[in-house]
Amino acid sequence: MKRETREYNYDWNIWTILENAALVCDGTPKEYRSLLSCIPHFGSALDIFIRQGEPGIRFIRLVSQYIRNCITARERGKKTALTSFSMATPILYALDIVPICLEAFTIFGTVVLKRGTGEFLDYCCEIGFTETSCSSQRGALGAYLSGLATRPDMIVCNSPGWCDSNANSYAFASAYLGIPFYQLNYPSEVSGRRSSDYHRQDYRHLISFLEGHTGTRIDTARLGSIIDETMKQDELINELSDLQMLVPNPVPNIYDLMIYGAKSCANGLPELTVLLSSMVDRCRENAVKGLPGNSTAREKARGMFCYIDHYTTDARLWDWMDANDISHLGSILCRYWQADAPYAGTHDGEGYRLDKGSLDSMIDTLADMTARMPMVKQIRGPYDAPQMWLDDNLRLARLLKADFVVYFSTVGCRNTWGAVKLLVRDLEKQGLPSLMLFLDAFDDRVMSWDAVTDRISEFIHVRGIA
Amino acid sequence: MIESFREVARSIGNRYVEEWKERGRKVIGYPCTFVPDEIIHAAGMLPYRLRGINTTTLSIGDTYFGPVICSFPKCILQLAGQGGYSFLDGAVIVNGCDSMRRLDECWRKAGEDYPGTLPGYFRYLGVPHKVADYSLAWYADELRAFVKSLEEHFGVSIGTPVLRRSIRLYNRARRLLIGLDDLRSSPETPLSGEDAAAVVLAGFAMPREEYTRMLRKFLPGMEKPSQVMNGRKRLMVVGSTSDDLDFFRLLESSGGVVVSDTMCFGSRSYHDLVDEKGDPIEALAARYLSHKFCPRMFGYYKERLAFIHERALSARVDGIILQNIRFCDLHGSENGIFERDLEARGIPCMRIEREYGPLVETGRIRMRIDAFMERIS
Repeated sequence: MKRETREYNYDWNIWTILENAALVCDGTPKEYRSLLSCIPHFGSALDIFIRQGEPGIRFIRLVSQYIRNCITARERGKKTALTSFSMATPILYALDIVPICLEAFTIFGTVVLKRGTGEFLDYCCEIGFTETSCSSQRGALGAYLSGLATRPDMIVCNSPGWCDSNANSYAFASAYLGIPFYQLNYPSEVSGRRSSDYHRQDYRHLISFLEGHTGTRIDTARLGSIIDETMKQDELINELSDLQMLVPNPVPNIYDLMIYGAKSCANGLPELTVLLSSMVDRCRENAVKGLPGNSTAREKARGMFCYIDHYTTDARLWDWMDANDISHLGSILCRYWQADAPYAGTHDGEGYRLDKGSLDSMIDTLADMTARMPMVKQIRGPYDAPQMWLDDNLRLARLLKADFVVYFSTVGCRNTWGAVKLLVRDLEKQGLPSLMLFLDAFDDRVMSWDAVTDRISEFIHVRGIA
Repeated sequence: MIESFREVARSIGNRYVEEWKERGRKVIGYPCTFVPDEIIHAAGMLPYRLRGINTTTLSIGDTYFGPVICSFPKCILQLAGQGGYSFLDGAVIVNGCDSMRRLDECWRKAGEDYPGTLPGYFRYLGVPHKVADYSLAWYADELRAFVKSLEEHFGVSIGTPVLRRSIRLYNRARRLLIGLDDLRSSPETPLSGEDAAAVVLAGFAMPREEYTRMLRKFLPGMEKPSQVMNGRKRLMVVGSTSDDLDFFRLLESSGGVVVSDTMCFGSRSYHDLVDEKGDPIEALAARYLSHKFCPRMFGYYKERLAFIHERALSARVDGIILQNIRFCDLHGSENGIFERDLEARGIPCMRIEREYGPLVETGRIRMRIDAFMERIS
């Protein structure tokens, strides 16, 4: 690792950049334009968000505040838990634990830092990780393992059952740092009494683990208010999904990242509700005017991402699509399977419904929610089983009127690389042009961004999509 | 006798399987040690552990699996697609790891394109990744459903008495293999690692009754003085699945003898027994799921480290080879911490990453082994 990389903590570094970024709009537009030339390495990424007006600025503030909470947790007497994006965090907030979402930190570093997370990815390999391990954890984990980020107090991982690579990273961190580890484990089926009982028992053990390591008991009133907030957020996210079905799609491309980025940080906290409300307002305005969310005000094609997005340098994916008049219809990361989501409900028990009637009902329905988080739902069982990856993508593609589907991933994603050729074949059979790219969404060394855009452009051209 | 073990270990089909089939009996394949052989045996069928040896191409494996997948399930699929597993009447796929779990879909889809290559009975068995009362209950239910599906599909009955008999039979062979391990751990280990692997591997591909008889005859001969060690270094092998005798031969070609291992085609498959007294399904669930020695069971690093350390001490090893198949991040990454912690306890370790299948990397691995042997000499 380069000496200058060791100069500042990874999380602190990102926080200072974002904290200052959140201030840029306090001045006049002219001042903001002038300022961009002073921050050449971050200017493009910043502008993608600031261009969105209030929602973009709120997003940067939310992330900045979240990171500040993570890095100051210890001095404020709070415990921290290293956890994954697929963990629904209300339960952690209810126990006053600050969740450090590893994948979110990898995305922030990949988007914000001049050199991305390459050195941290490589650091993990130096201390024992295989170079084929998933980059979505390694990117930030390198900082935590090298002591260049806030040391977490515990690890709460909910990937066993749907992603070995993810679970393995957290298990490695626990063994390497010598900190307590709890895993939520998922059977291959999502719904049904048997799975539901399993999820709920596992979740109750999680709560015992958290209570044991914090020395606190769950506060019913506090949990209730967090669930209230989560329910409001669910409604807003559902409305965004509804709006995405319109042609043209009134939802700006970058909202995809903003939804899951912000939810990873602040699920159940009021600031997320405020952000989502401002996003919905903006999209409603577009919808009333019949305008697409793209800044070009044109929609030539509608693309859906059947897995994850691409994050390297400056959040270029969403901007590139925007510039090419292509609507981004979201990836599976922004689908949460609330019972009222427009894409849920065809199978009994497929979606979750939070219930704050009693402490038991809150815990049980939070367990249901966590068991349906992105990826937790889709890739835990055979890809072609009901309610799994193929089923979900076909349903979403039809509802969203997708013109094409793209698979981006990481080199470490064994579970989807093991089935994606079959998925793409089946999607094509159903008449959906589908593109599978061998790249790493967090590491341009596998496939350059230029190669990625060339491949997508050629695909769109050859298939006569736009 | 060792020749018989070698013959079975070096091939996919073997004369025991042929004779079994000639008698009109069924064979069920499975890829991972989290599937209880006892249940298949109690159904009157031959449990056969799937392997990928002797593949010469991955044209079929690569068609269905993606590019960054472990070559072990790819090789199994390759053999299946070529008709190499045509003797199977059934297969049980398990979520041993993410590469292996997708063998379920890849084999099913390949079966559509290569008619006749998918066994008539094909089942996915979900195994939890943790040990808790509710995960044990879940797994026991899975096993009961497995029993029921075998009964319904093949028209057999798997009653408690017959299941108990199978458990006792498998435990008997496990005790004999533990005895063999004790002999290998002694200062004058009686056989090479390659031959020891042949003995263990044969057990996955032949009727257990016959195998147990052979072990009983074989073991007394191992108690005589041997010249195997002859000043050579004592090695232990840890990590990803390995059923390739040539790989062991290569490891031993630079002046070492593999005297111990913790691999799933090795000691991990027999070092613990099934309780013979309680409810047989619950006893099987308890033994197979409490089997935390595969890194697919997340959060049990300390137990695995202690297991390796204890075996290394009892076998008096001079060094440990921590190996993993490329894209096996579970073993590969854990090997990284094992290296740190075992070296700190004074045990020299070497990590290598390799491909499963034909030894295309012989030169590179040989060079690494030579260097390691130089270090521990």
